[in-house]
Amino acid sequence: MKSNKVVSLLKDLGLLLYAMFALFPLVWLVIISFKHDREMFNTTFIFSPTLDNYRVLFSSGEFIGYFVDNLIVSVGAIILSIVVGVPAAYALARFDFKGKESIAFTFLSFRFAPEILVVLPIFLIYQKIGLYDTYFGLIWIFQVVSLPLMIWILRGYFEDISVEMEHAARLDGYSWWQVFIKMIIPLIKPGLVASSLLSFIFVWNNFTFSLLLAGQKVTTTTVAMLKYVSSDTVHYGQMAAAVLISSLPIIILALAIQKHLVRGLSMGAVKG
Amino acid sequence: MANVRVEGIKKSFKKETVLSDISFEVKDKEFFVIFGPAGAGKTTLLNIIAGIYVPDEGHVYLNNKCIDHVEPEDRNVAMVFEDYALYPHLTVFDNIASPLRSPRYKQPEEVVKREVTRVAEILKIDWLLDRNPSELSNGQRQRVGLGRALIRSPEVFLMDEPITHLDAKLRHQMRAELKDMQRNLDTTTIYVTHDYLEALSLADRIAVINKGKIEQIGTPEEIYYKPANEFVASAFGEPEINIFNAEVVKENTELKLSIFGRKKIEIPKNIQKLVAEKEISIVRVGIRPKDIKYGFIQKNENCIIGKVYSFEPLGAKAILTVQVHNQLVQLLVPSDSEIQLNQEIFIEIDMEKTIFFDSVGNNLLASYSNVERKGVAWQN
Repeated sequence: MKSNKVVSLLKDLGLLLYAMFALFPLVWLVIISFKHDREMFNTTFIFSPTLDNYRVLFSSGEFIGYFVDNLIVSVGAIILSIVVGVPAAYALARFDFKGKESIAFTFLSFRFAPEILVVLPIFLIYQKIGLYDTYFGLIWIFQVVSLPLMIWILRGYFEDISVEMEHAARLDGYSWWQVFIKMIIPLIKPGLVASSLLSFIFVWNNFTFSLLLAGQKVTTTTVAMLKYVSSDTVHYGQMAAAVLISSLPIIILALAIQKHLVRGLSMGAVKG
Repeated sequence: MANVRVEGIKKSFKKETVLSDISFEVKDKEFFVIFGPAGAGKTTLLNIIAGIYVPDEGHVYLNNKCIDHVEPEDRNVAMVFEDYALYPHLTVFDNIASPLRSPRYKQPEEVVKREVTRVAEILKIDWLLDRNPSELSNGQRQRVGLGRALIRSPEVFLMDEPITHLDAKLRHQMRAELKDMQRNLDTTTIYVTHDYLEALSLADRIAVINKGKIEQIGTPEEIYYKPANEFVASAFGEPEINIFNAEVVKENTELKLSIFGRKKIEIPKNIQKLVAEKEISIVRVGIRPKDIKYGFIQKNENCIIGKVYSFEPLGAKAILTVQVHNQLVQLLVPSDSEIQLNQEIFIEIDMEKTIFFDSVGNNLLASYSNVERKGVAWQN
């Protein structure tokens, strides 16, 4: 019994050490966001905290503009990929058509090439067709980032739903659309929430596309961070504050929808 | 109040023909059973009637109106699915209530409540109404599926093996209840099953289908006593009907059969006439295990000697397998018979109850006896 206690104590200690190791960058970020520039390099944990960095951030209202821009393109991209991705995933799960697997694979392949590799041709195309530095331009390209994830996660969810259940609902007197809204959407909700959240994180934090396909009229927070690197110095404190603020939406979103992230709802309704 | 007619239904999935040229008519208030082995196309046929699949060729008529282009939700049919097909995110109550809440068959909420309670009581699931389907046993799920169909009064009930997944005892009980229910509901029912006892005990008429083709349509009596061919004969009955080759031999003016290479056995006059007319030299003789008698002494010259091959007691009855001239014959005997393996035994075939097939397996004579056998207990 005694050795058990020691073992569990050691386990806890190990976990604690790992937690400290994993969380330290975040803690450090919080610390330096409250530091004055002049204390940046000569203090570690003991310093006189200041809200100056945050004050600078919100004084001009510029940062709020970037934040809103980021919100518009991210939410826009997610909505677009839900509108396109849900029917696409349904079709891939339910219907049998020629080249089905190839199409599914093509969707996945959107994620294969590194962004930096494809951004140059897209940049040129966007310049030509006037999508450069527009909301829609960014939404369009971000949708390419989020769509594959959405389709592949949701396809699995749709495949888990038995076709007979859809048939049963039809015979119960629901039209196809009503079946889709009333019976199918509730069943894929966990997958929809999970894939939307994941895509949102990817899109929100995207840097390459935001930097190279926009930057003047439409500026996302990730690109805006660069502004704190000036010619003579790097404003680490302001940058840290900006990073913290811009990661808030994701943290809030993740906490808010946590309870929807459950699986296994569709199990048990068909013959087991 | 509806009759259903299908005409020349053909359906294939990816070049594989599932149904070919299926036609039949189900009369108003009839309990019509579609019977067939696994993969015969029974479920596909039911789905076509429900409107879930569109047939490649052929038409479906409801009340003599063609409903080929009517969507499933507008056909006013209710279906019980083999795999239950319940809504996993809804409680048992909401599952059963779903048809009455749908836009097509909408009812006020107090009616819904009353009806769900009524149906749940019939099916003995009224104590489960708050549960989710995942918290039910298979038998309970199947009854929820049944409840969802029974809650409204459709033109036709379609049932796809609705009691297959229940355990034996409950299945027996539900079989009786279904029959009762159908009588009370007075609704046309099309019922799919692969269990011959279910088919015989429930049906007003049975359609036997195999490999997408109808083998025979008839009342349970016709199917059992006058099977159209060897397939139908061996599908109904457990143990299976014994079928042997027999040579036709002429003895004086009489035609006799020589089975197992030795005996000359007398056959009924009408069969003799038929055999003579068609100039058949080989007939296939089918005899149900319960229609063979056995004994340990040779009572008359129709007795055939054999050797006991195996003896399997199954409760009150037992299956006795006798080896006769390199062929195995199965008999159904009382299980308290004292029988030793390899014992010599005499069997006597009741030629009055024999079914005669031609060499390709079709029944020679669709009527060996016209006696109506109503009220027969369907046991083997």
